[in-house]
Order: sequence, then C-alpha cells, then structure tokens
Amino acid sequence: MNPSVKDRLGSVVRALNGVVLPALPKEASLAQEQVMLAMGHIQIILAQMDAAPVFVGEELADVERMARDVTAAAKGGVETGLAIALLDTLLTSTATEAPEARTSALQDAIDLLLQALAKDGDPAVRKSVQAIVLQQGAARAEKDRRWFAAMGFDIDYSGG
Amino acid sequence: MIDTEPHLAGLLEARKLRRKEPPYEPQADNAIAGLLGSYFATQLPGATVSDVARLGGGASKEQFSFTLTQDGAAAQRYVLRMDPMEGITETSRQREYEILKAMQGVIPVPRPVWLDAEGAHFGRPAVIMELVPGSPKPSNMTLSVTGLGTVLGDPLRGQIRPQYLDMLAKIHNFDWASADLPSYTAPTADPKQATRWLINFWKELLEQDALVREPVIRLATQWLEENIPDCEKLCLVHGDFRTGNYLFDEAAGIVTAMLDWEMSYIGDLHGDLAWLLQPVFGTRIDGVFRVSDIFEGEEDFISAYETASGNTINRETLHYFKVFNDWKSYILVSALGMRAAREQHNHQDVLLTFLAATGPMFVADLAKLLSEGGPQ
Repeated sequence: MNPSVKDRLGSVVRALNGVVLPALPKEASLAQEQVMLAMGHIQIILAQMDAAPVFVGEELADVERMARDVTAAAKGGVETGLAIALLDTLLTSTATEAPEARTSALQDAIDLLLQALAKDGDPAVRKSVQAIVLQQGAARAEKDRRWFAAMGFDIDYSGG
Repeated sequence: MIDTEPHLAGLLEARKLRRKEPPYEPQADNAIAGLLGSYFATQLPGATVSDVARLGGGASKEQFSFTLTQDGAAAQRYVLRMDPMEGITETSRQREYEILKAMQGVIPVPRPVWLDAEGAHFGRPAVIMELVPGSPKPSNMTLSVTGLGTVLGDPLRGQIRPQYLDMLAKIHNFDWASADLPSYTAPTADPKQATRWLINFWKELLEQDALVREPVIRLATQWLEENIPDCEKLCLVHGDFRTGNYLFDEAAGIVTAMLDWEMSYIGDLHGDLAWLLQPVFGTRIDGVFRVSDIFEGEEDFISAYETASGNTINRETLHYFKVFNDWKSYILVSALGMRAAREQHNHQDVLLTFLAATGPMFVADLAKLLSEGGPQ
C-alpha cells in the first residue's frame, strides 16, 4: 500500500510532537514556538485537505460573479471603458489557467476598474459599484473567516 | 520619494533594494554570540558576553537575550533586537532607540543602551536594550502568537486596568515637542498632514508588497484618502498599544514595561484607540467582549480613557481610524507578512503564513464599516 498524503502528514506531526519538541532545550523558545506552529499548520491542512478544491472553486465563482456584476453596473469615461473591456475579455475567455491564477487575474482587473471609476466614473454609478463590492466582499470574507477559524484568532468563529 | 515622514520615506526606498536578495538565512546563535563579543570588545573592552539565547514571542524582529559581565559590576541581562531582511512591519531601529530613551521616567519601558542603526556591525539594523523582568501573559497560558487572545483573567484585569489607562494617557499627553527625537518629524504643515503621511506610508507598502488585489481593500484605500479628518491635537502615538505588548509581574499585578514602540509616530491619538479596540486584540468569553481583555466593551474603555487622559474622543474620527486600522492590519498580515514569507526573507515564515489567516477578519470588518459610512 502506498502511504497517503494524510498518513504522511500525520506521521510528520507525530514526529514533531513526540520526538522533536521534547528534545528542544527549555530556553529554545523560538524553536518551540515554530514547531508548535508547524504542527498547527499541518493539522489544519489535514482537516481542510478534502474540502480545499471546493473552497478554491467557490472562491473563483465568487470573484467571477463580482466581476460580472460590476462590469454590468459600471459606466464612465475612457479609463472606465478600458477597464470594463478588460474585465469583459477576461470573463468571456476560456479559462486555461489554474483557478487561483484566474481568481487573481480577475481581482487585478476589478482593482483597475475601481481605480478607473474614481477617475472618470459617473459618481452615482461608482456608488452602486462600491455597494456591490462591499456586499459581495463581505459575504466572501465571512466564508474565508469560517475556513480559517481553526487558526484560533477569530473571536467570532474560533470559539475563543 | 513618497510624501510621508522623511525618515520613513527613506525606509520605503531602501526596502525596494532588498527585494531581489536571496532567501534569508537566520544567523546561528553562536554566530550572534560572536558578533556580540566583537561588538563589546570595542564598546566595552573587558566585558564578556554569555548565555546568548534566541527569543520567541514576536512577529517582526530577531531577538536574542544575553548576559554582559564587566569588571567590578554585576552581570546584566540585555536584549538584542535585529531587523530581518523583510517582515510584517517596516520600521526603524533608530526611532525605536530614540523613543525608548525619550520615554524613560515617563512610563515603564526598557532602557535602550546601544544602537547599530545601519547594521554596520550586526549586518542588519539592531538595538540593544536592558532585559526587563516580566511576562506578556499569565503563567497558565501556553502559546500565544504575538499576544493575540491573551486572557489576563481576574484579578489581573482589575490590577492592570488603571496602569494600562495611565500609560496610554501619559503617552498621548507626552510633550514630544521638547523631546530629543531627531528621526521623527512633526506633521505641522496642515491639519491633515499627519494622517495623510500615515496613509501614504502604508499605501506604498501595500503597493510594493500586495500579492493579490483585494477589491474591498482598494475601496478602503480610496475612502481613507478621500475622508482624511483634521488632527485636532498632535500626540505621540504608540502604534501597537494593547494587551500582549506589555510585560507584567504576575504575582504583584504590576506592569514592568510597555514594549513594541517600533510603529510609533506623531499624529492623531485616535489611531491608538481604534487599534486597541479591534476585536482581534480583545477576548470574547461567555458572550462578553473585553477590549484588551480588560474593559467590558468599547464604551467602558472610552469613558475610562477620557477620564484618565482628559482627552475627548471624536466618534467620527474614531470611526475613520477603525477603517484605517483594519486596512493597516490587512496590509501587515496579508501584504507584508505574506510577501516576506513568499520571498523567504524572514526567519518566521511559518508564523507569517499563520497570521495571514487573520486577513479575512479585517476585510469583513472593513466591508461593514464602509457600508455603515459613519459611527453607529
């Protein structure tokens, strides 16, 4: 039987916890801290591993939705027009890159549009685009917070 | 050059040159011991360095404790704080040295003793200060990354509360104009310059380091630039005042030192207040949110602060700085921290990628604050 990724990562955590951490001298506080953080990372990665492809796909779907909605709402001068055209091109192109890369490219293009709207966008239109970004950005951030709740920092989601 | 404090504008330029450097290799403890030995051979001939140990607990600097023994004097413990190549903040050891000197006798702070501002000896900028006894967290707490989530509990909450307020009041009422702070520049050109400089500094860091363009962060940047409030009173601002950044004697319930002055500046006191009010720096236990685990909610802190300091809080300005601090926090963890980790330019990549998970909290709060448009 080939060792699974989960088996291998699990064995790394056991080695760090059972052998490496106890072997560190008491005064090696940074090394202790880093070993504990490394174990924490791996344990959370293990817990997230099965759901990670769905998470990444949903992240892309959310940014595509925002891109479509802001493109439909935006109006303005030359700079805004160019930014809308770029977003349109990205949205209608066939995705060949990895989901993370497409998410990033769409975020870059939305960023350009938000800057363009500040320069030559219609003020009322700019406000409605901002409302879309804030509403959808908040919803996306809530999903991200739940995803990272196990890190223990979030007093609303981490059970602190 | 960016339109910000001149000393900080210099830092922003210098960091661009470090970007193409190869991965950072932390120096071994015995190499640091050697550097300290050669440093004190010229600074304090005859002194000996021993017990060099790397310290944990922070997210921004490489820190080492050591003992210095001189003829005819008791052995003394010190802390060496060195800049990594890149980190979660971009700050100046020279300013840290100056402000710690200026605050001697004002509130409890470590005494800075030696400065290698350009890293001529240590390879990276470094400051050496006396080691102050005390702990940033109670002994019953285990790992607490950078002090986040520190639960003081009772009776420490009640014991530290008046000291916390007194320190903050003394910082904000400090006579900075008479202090010897040559690397600080007072933003006196107009009432918005202090905050404009602040925005320009952090915006430049975001531009240099962002790995992704988060749309809510762009809106926050625009809102901050378009809504800068007048600064009614130029104050010394600590920049990272919160539980987790002071040491205390647990048995006596006494604060022994306020730490982490590296982000201090002269500006609007609301910057400190909105910073320490952030949920991430407080606790929520049994449904009760405590600011810095001390004050039962925001209003408890605000009224206590106003009484202790004599300063009045402007709710509109506080709202502005809540937006600013969420934005700044995102830049710290999601831009600078992630960039430093991605470039392998730090000794704590594993911590930086852990801390970056706080980024969505700041985005969520920014979206809420910007949607509200003003104090609720």
